[in-house]
Amino acid sequence: MVPLRSPLFAGLVLAVGHCVLPAAAMAGSPDPLDWLNRMGVAVQTTSYEGTVLRMREGRAEALKVVHTVRDGVVHEKVVAQEGDGLEIIRSGNEVHCILPERKSVLVEEWSDQSTVFSTLPSSDIRFGNEYDVAIVREERVAGRKTMLIAIRPHDGYRYGHRLWLDTETGFPLQTQLIDESGAAVEQVKFADIRFDVEITESKLASSYQTEDFRWFTQPSRHTGHSVDTTWASSSLPPGFQAIATHGESLPGRDEVVTHILYSDGLASVSVFIAPQDDAHADGPASVGGSNSFSVLIDGHQVTAVGEVPAATVEQIATTMGQL
Amino acid sequence: MNDAIRMQISAFVDGELPDNEADLLLRRMGQDAELRRKVAEYLAIGRIMRGESSVAGIERLSDRIAEEIGGRRVDDAAVAAAEPSGRAIRPLAGIAVAASVALVAIFGLQFTDPPDGQGSAPEVAAVATSTPETAYTVPQPVDETLLQYYRSHGELSSEYGANGINARLVTLRLSEEALEEEEAAAPEGQAAEPEDEGAGDRPREGTDL
Repeated sequence: MVPLRSPLFAGLVLAVGHCVLPAAAMAGSPDPLDWLNRMGVAVQTTSYEGTVLRMREGRAEALKVVHTVRDGVVHEKVVAQEGDGLEIIRSGNEVHCILPERKSVLVEEWSDQSTVFSTLPSSDIRFGNEYDVAIVREERVAGRKTMLIAIRPHDGYRYGHRLWLDTETGFPLQTQLIDESGAAVEQVKFADIRFDVEITESKLASSYQTEDFRWFTQPSRHTGHSVDTTWASSSLPPGFQAIATHGESLPGRDEVVTHILYSDGLASVSVFIAPQDDAHADGPASVGGSNSFSVLIDGHQVTAVGEVPAATVEQIATTMGQL
Repeated sequence: MNDAIRMQISAFVDGELPDNEADLLLRRMGQDAELRRKVAEYLAIGRIMRGESSVAGIERLSDRIAEEIGGRRVDDAAVAAAEPSGRAIRPLAGIAVAASVALVAIFGLQFTDPPDGQGSAPEVAAVATSTPETAYTVPQPVDETLLQYYRSHGELSSEYGANGINARLVTLRLSEEALEEEEAAAPEGQAAEPEDEGAGDRPREGTDL
């Protein structure tokens, strides 16, 4: 078992794309950090076609995914296999969400590298001493041999990860976000996948003729800039520290919201401090493995949001105050 | 969860579990959220593996769950899950509903159960909403401010190298009045002049999108 520490892991991940060890040499590596490094490379460079199951809180959705990277630019097509046939066509950061039954296309800009993976610990920021990483065993997923890698937190303030990495490519064929009880909060799993297929333009094109559709674009994104703040938590969970503070103007709101980002190197929590808002309720909420907690402090609505357990966002939110 | 339970679930969703064992399994499901989650997984996996649009056991499951929760059909239970749970609720309209519901279905938006702990109906509904009949028809309670926060969190954490949930949620905060509809749907000849790469049906450069 290897503790995740900076700068070792950070160095490995930062090396992604710059210094890739031969796959054959890495495939049998006893070092779990080598496996994570391989995964980082594979996610950013691998082309594939397959069927993905996403499972969260008892909901399971199936998506057909075609994904390729050309000259560093992601091209992707995701098609929901149930419901209204929603298609997501992505070229770089530009994303078209096609709603065929509504004859509408929503144009958006996404910043992450993959539509499928939202819980991968591919952070290149520094890890603290809050996790261990270990190779568990070999298992088969989607008919392929994988190595199960576990990232285990030292306490209940953050989630763990289980990663089933294809032994040949390092690609994550299954990922789980794990809560304190060992249960999977979120899971992404390939039911089938092929790496050896040619990803042609036609495979990436929409199945629909969209010229007669109504096109919409997302309203302007929030704008933010670094600011100083007198707000801080008096009792941050171990390992978390503030890594950024922004003043933000959010769509439809006049006031500037202070946004503080805390991180333990892998998990992150945002705290938003806004003038009191009667329409925004106090208390907890959750989206998949992400939790939030909102509380009124000194005439301000303080809301903590992050991919951490509910107790973590509650502790951070309720201990915020002005220095 | 042991192998015997897994086999029971598998047989149940295939419609092959004897009635007496099915009764027992359903009673256990009423008390065991993990078991309900596992059944939902089996239902989805079964559909994928068999290429089916429905699963043999689902109709029976719907009826039986309806009995367990007091005579309501699964559809009713799903609606109940969408009812206010103590948070500020503001239903979206028109295209915003479509966008929200579609991405809710894909990305699994689900707010916490009511604080009184009466989570059985929503949890049962979570199983039910994995079926084609209900998965895309139930608007979820949406706190717009909170969704903006989730989105902003995703953006900033991505900037600093952490994977956020931004991409999963950006569309959820759409509202009809905020959408800027293109004047003329798509430029003439757009489909005949695809871009050189990627999203071939996107508007040509210069389109005011």
